[in-house]
Amino acid sequence: MLLWLILIPLIGAGLVPVVAKPYVRTVAYAATAGPLALALYILGSYSFAAGAPEALTRVARWAPDLGLTLRLSMDGVSAALVALTAFLGPLCVLGSKTAVTERVRTFYGWFLVLQAAMTGVFLARDVVLFYVFFEFTLVPMFILIALFGSANRRAASVKFFLYTFTGSVLSLAGLLSLAWYHAAVLPPGSTPNAGTWSLALSDLALAGRAMPANLQGWVFLALMAGFAVKVPLFPLHTWLPLAHTEAPTVGSVVLAGVLLKLGTYAIYTLVIPLVPDAAVAFAPAVGVLSVLGILAAGLMCWVQTDVKRLVAYSSVAHLGFCMLGMFAFNRSGLQGSLLYMINHGLSTPALFFCIGMIYERYHTRSMDELGGLGSRMPAWSSFMVFFTMASVGLPGLNGFVGEFLTVKGAFEAGALPGHDGPRGGMTGGVLGPWFAAWAVAGMIVAAVYLLYMLGRVVWGTYHAPSEHGGPHAAPHSASHGQAHGHGHGHGPDEPAGGAHTGLPTDLSGREVRVLVPLAALCLLLGVYPAPLLNMFADSVDTTASLMQGALRRAEQVRPEAPEAGAAAQPQSAGAGDGAAGSGAEVDAGEGEGVEGRR
Amino acid sequence: MLATMGLITGTAAGGAALAAAPGAEALAGAGGVAGVSVSAHGAPLAVLAIALLPLLGAALCALTAPLRLGGKLPAWITVGGLAAAFGLTVLMHSGVSGLAAGEALVAHGYEWIAFQSGAGPGDRFVAPFGFYLDSLTSLWMLFVTGLGCLIALYASEYMEHDVGLGYARFFVAFNLFVFSMACLVMADNLLLLFLGWEGVGLCSYLLIGYFYKKPEAVAAAKKAFIVNRVGDFGLLLGILTIFGVFGTVEYAALFPKLAAGRDALGEPLAAWVGWVVPLLLVCGAFGKSAQLFFYVWLPDAMEGPTPVSALIHAATMVTAGVYLIARMFPAFTLDEQQWVLGLVAASGAVTALWSATIAMAQHDIKRIMGYSTISQLGYMFAGLGVLTTTGAAFHVFTHAFFKATLFLCCGAVMHGFAGQLDLRRLSGVWWVKGWGIIGAAMLVGCLNLAGFPFTAGFFSKDTILAQAFVTPGAAWVGWVLLLTAGLTAYYTFRVFFRVFVGPVEYHPGQDDHGHQGDDGHAHSSQHGHAGGHGHASGQFHPHAPRWAINSVVGALAVLSIAAAATYFVYPQEHGWVGKMVGHSTAAFAAPGEHHSGAHADPHSDAHSTDLRSNGAAHAAALGTFLGFDPHAVMYYVSALVGAVGIGVAYLLHGAGRRTAATAGADGLLRNPLVALVHRGAHRKWYVDEVYHALITLPLWVLGHVLHLVDRLLVDGLVNAVGAAPKLTGGRLRVQQSGVLNGYAVAMAGGIALVVLLVVFMTN
Repeated sequence: MLLWLILIPLIGAGLVPVVAKPYVRTVAYAATAGPLALALYILGSYSFAAGAPEALTRVARWAPDLGLTLRLSMDGVSAALVALTAFLGPLCVLGSKTAVTERVRTFYGWFLVLQAAMTGVFLARDVVLFYVFFEFTLVPMFILIALFGSANRRAASVKFFLYTFTGSVLSLAGLLSLAWYHAAVLPPGSTPNAGTWSLALSDLALAGRAMPANLQGWVFLALMAGFAVKVPLFPLHTWLPLAHTEAPTVGSVVLAGVLLKLGTYAIYTLVIPLVPDAAVAFAPAVGVLSVLGILAAGLMCWVQTDVKRLVAYSSVAHLGFCMLGMFAFNRSGLQGSLLYMINHGLSTPALFFCIGMIYERYHTRSMDELGGLGSRMPAWSSFMVFFTMASVGLPGLNGFVGEFLTVKGAFEAGALPGHDGPRGGMTGGVLGPWFAAWAVAGMIVAAVYLLYMLGRVVWGTYHAPSEHGGPHAAPHSASHGQAHGHGHGHGPDEPAGGAHTGLPTDLSGREVRVLVPLAALCLLLGVYPAPLLNMFADSVDTTASLMQGALRRAEQVRPEAPEAGAAAQPQSAGAGDGAAGSGAEVDAGEGEGVEGRR
Repeated sequence: MLATMGLITGTAAGGAALAAAPGAEALAGAGGVAGVSVSAHGAPLAVLAIALLPLLGAALCALTAPLRLGGKLPAWITVGGLAAAFGLTVLMHSGVSGLAAGEALVAHGYEWIAFQSGAGPGDRFVAPFGFYLDSLTSLWMLFVTGLGCLIALYASEYMEHDVGLGYARFFVAFNLFVFSMACLVMADNLLLLFLGWEGVGLCSYLLIGYFYKKPEAVAAAKKAFIVNRVGDFGLLLGILTIFGVFGTVEYAALFPKLAAGRDALGEPLAAWVGWVVPLLLVCGAFGKSAQLFFYVWLPDAMEGPTPVSALIHAATMVTAGVYLIARMFPAFTLDEQQWVLGLVAASGAVTALWSATIAMAQHDIKRIMGYSTISQLGYMFAGLGVLTTTGAAFHVFTHAFFKATLFLCCGAVMHGFAGQLDLRRLSGVWWVKGWGIIGAAMLVGCLNLAGFPFTAGFFSKDTILAQAFVTPGAAWVGWVLLLTAGLTAYYTFRVFFRVFVGPVEYHPGQDDHGHQGDDGHAHSSQHGHAGGHGHASGQFHPHAPRWAINSVVGALAVLSIAAAATYFVYPQEHGWVGKMVGHSTAAFAAPGEHHSGAHADPHSDAHSTDLRSNGAAHAAALGTFLGFDPHAVMYYVSALVGAVGIGVAYLLHGAGRRTAATAGADGLLRNPLVALVHRGAHRKWYVDEVYHALITLPLWVLGHVLHLVDRLLVDGLVNAVGAAPKLTGGRLRVQQSGVLNGYAVAMAGGIALVVLLVVFMTN
């Protein structure tokens, strides 16, 4: 069954070049609706409360001597992400109906390949398979941006490819080092398969945990090099705004919705289980970068004039929350981080869809040229406000639950002086209340830039480019019967956009059908996140237990170190930064100190 | 009444005796397990409906837009839904008022956010969608739903020019607001309170920005949301700290722990909890209730339609901060010194005076009411700070009615005179035909606000004033508030004497309802108003209010008089409001409430949830007012101060005034010193400018700098790296082939490097 999730889009991609042109989109619908139906069936019939169901695990021995087995499996986390991928698929096909009219076969062919590759990443339980799928998402995305993007698409696609590929090369190196360590260094018998070549995640995890601390640190850095770029973790984000801005709408939707999650998912399923001690050691640094990303990217959003670029930067800030929660290593943080992946995968794609609909009509994304659409497009504006509020983290919509839990996790991953009880409250860890405080400050910044965007795009008096120029504009003057139309353009009351793009002034029924499912899910997951929380619970439990162990090991190392002599009790070291207000920097220093001492 | 009570008590999880920790623990356990099961019974469902009816109303109103259901249907949906919600609230109230002091009902809907948050079996984070019903809840909900219903009726007429345009949008947000407010007030946990808290912020944003074609409205809406978010920063961190310390966010489990001073593990609390938690909560309260440093959003919020100003920005939402402090009062009394409460008192007093001075120099009557709201909220906070939660809640209650009356009167004027709000351009409105009810209601509202004897505002303000003088060390708060009372009487009657009495003269405003769009102008011309500069002539006919506006304003005026009567029922417990507050977690036996003849207070023992307040110790140092018992003489003093204020207003703005634009006060302004002060107050003491220069501008510049760094430095480096393979493979298709060659090299190199590194490190 899992294989079909990957095969159906691939079969579709195979059919796209050969069917008659009018049926290309039909094939694409079928090839995206199939996995969606399958995913819904899986969600409906399996419980993920006790880990990956047996029925949803598939192992094919391929070259056992080289450790090359193909393992696909689906636990609660991958199920949710696969469902998200499958859910966005048909919406993308529906949403691109009017935007993509040329080279339709190329577009949908590569789009379906992309869907298959992304699904594959979430299902792989095998390092090689994982890596192949992970890398293979690059090619279709590169092509989608390079062929279907806007003016600066060349540079954007190249930069996208260069950036993420270079990083993932290092990740591969990290994975290979682990495999080599498992095969060549671990004494046989110390773990079940030690001394043999294996690329199964479970084996490598044991190898990673057996590694000495400094080695784990290097492997951590190598792995993160690839995955942090994908996330993107500040300051490795600079490919993202350009790629988003230039990508076609569907490209941005998939990029924000799923592709970024490959990074966080990889960190969750690979980095943290493989090298937990190094993850603990580096967690303060990652926490600082996450918080910096939340704040700095937020401020950068605020000075954008290109609305798509603004939303792109907001992804950097949002994913900062996701990383912060994950590196809190407690149940709240991990649950929040996983929820955040799904929630961000709904609200941000929805915003990109909204912006795409505007771009199709006005051929601009500049908030200087375009604004006040509230009076012109009330339905569109309602959706825009709704999704912005989801993005801003308004309680009752989906964004809040994840954001609250990540912040809660970060808060509790420290100690409050006198109250670091294990029951309910503080869990201990290497972040703490100060990280949470800065992240919450980031929520203020989010309100600033997102309302700034609404204020310019939705509210205010209507204004649009006087002339629909630009490389993509249809030859519109003829259709308006204005021979000299270029100079005059549209009067403010003339229904702009519609006449020459074939789109109505406000949303068409098709566009409403794209947005309504997204809005419904945003609302549903905002008021009833329980299904997702329950799906994640088992995986989160495993990871949290593992990480609490790693945290305890780190605590034991600490007193031996000369600098930590003052902090004789490990608990009071954590307590100090909670109360004294020494803040993030101290925590980071501590983390690096631990690393250096090993 | 008894029947209803039985229904609710019989089906809810049961009452919690807050004083008795074990009992409440049991309830917490039951509540936690209960989950969805309670909804099987009828009564809790009915309680949930108080919040869900407005939500349904919002959904129905939203549907009318795409279905093109014209007319005033959204208004009638709203009025009907809110009337039903009010009816249910009355039933709920009769159920709750049968409870003993300190007891509450908990009605669980479902578990909103719940998950295993720790390794132990009991470590669950649970934030239910459930309601905690005690008399404080009931007090707030009564005026939220009641006023909501009345103001919706008023709005049905007020917003009629937008029928088919923004009418549905207005009522969607209106309903959503009542839903959010209900969640805020009735929540049984802090996270659901936060949902309501942010929800009312959203609705406030949407409604302030209702006239979205006006740049001022858009800016004001944004400002309101962002300033509130700054406050929410504190509230959210406060909630996190509370969970970190106490291991729960549910009231039923939290209050016993607070009362006992024990954390999640049953250990005594660390000293910092006693001030950090209240301080963080206060930060949220200051934001929502527009207190010092945060108040700047509220005057600008007057850009919203007037019914919104009346409901959200005067009567209900802005009192959420008072509610939060009252609800969480046990957290505020954890600390022996209670210095956070001292801060609240000081900030309340300063806010009251500060905004009163600004109100004195404004010309826009709606803004004056806005500033007066901030000032009155200052009174409420001062009341909380000097430990009279009863006084604060009583002032919230009376203020809700009389300030709504005042706003709705201003709104009627705005509605009738094409948006005119300048007190120099209107005069003698009461004497214009058809404006009798509005004029009379305005007088009632002004008397209340000015604290005229025997009005409701008089009694509630007096409670706070007297307590301020009684509380040791807070006498200066009392003096500041007394001075403010005089200023309040002055600026209130300045409006009344200028606009509602005197010679009849009116100039229509520039637009209708703040509409600057095409629709607004079209409407104005329909009224025969050409250009907006006609003198009171045949060209412009004021648009007298019709039945909806008149009846609502009249009813509110009556209610704001009747609110005074609640002071005389239950005299043993400081009136009806006092009884309600006394039976809730906000109960506090303030020092001095035990003394004084008029305020005989035998109830403190009955429900003293506060284990720390040492009444005897405080009693030794009770303050006096110039040697008199403050409770005994404050009636006379505040009446005198109010009368002086009204008298000065009459002399400067009423006596002998012949035109709308001039008044006796103009003579004073010729004095350069007075003119300087007036100018400062008129420009709002330049606070907005200072904030812009100190906060907004630096952050904006920082954003640009970061963006520049991002594009030039970080991106530049990457581009430089990217350019290297481009140069080596420099041909026409350089972009692709060159780069891909580079990748192959980079890939091989990278892998080799890392593998070598690892091998090297191991050996």
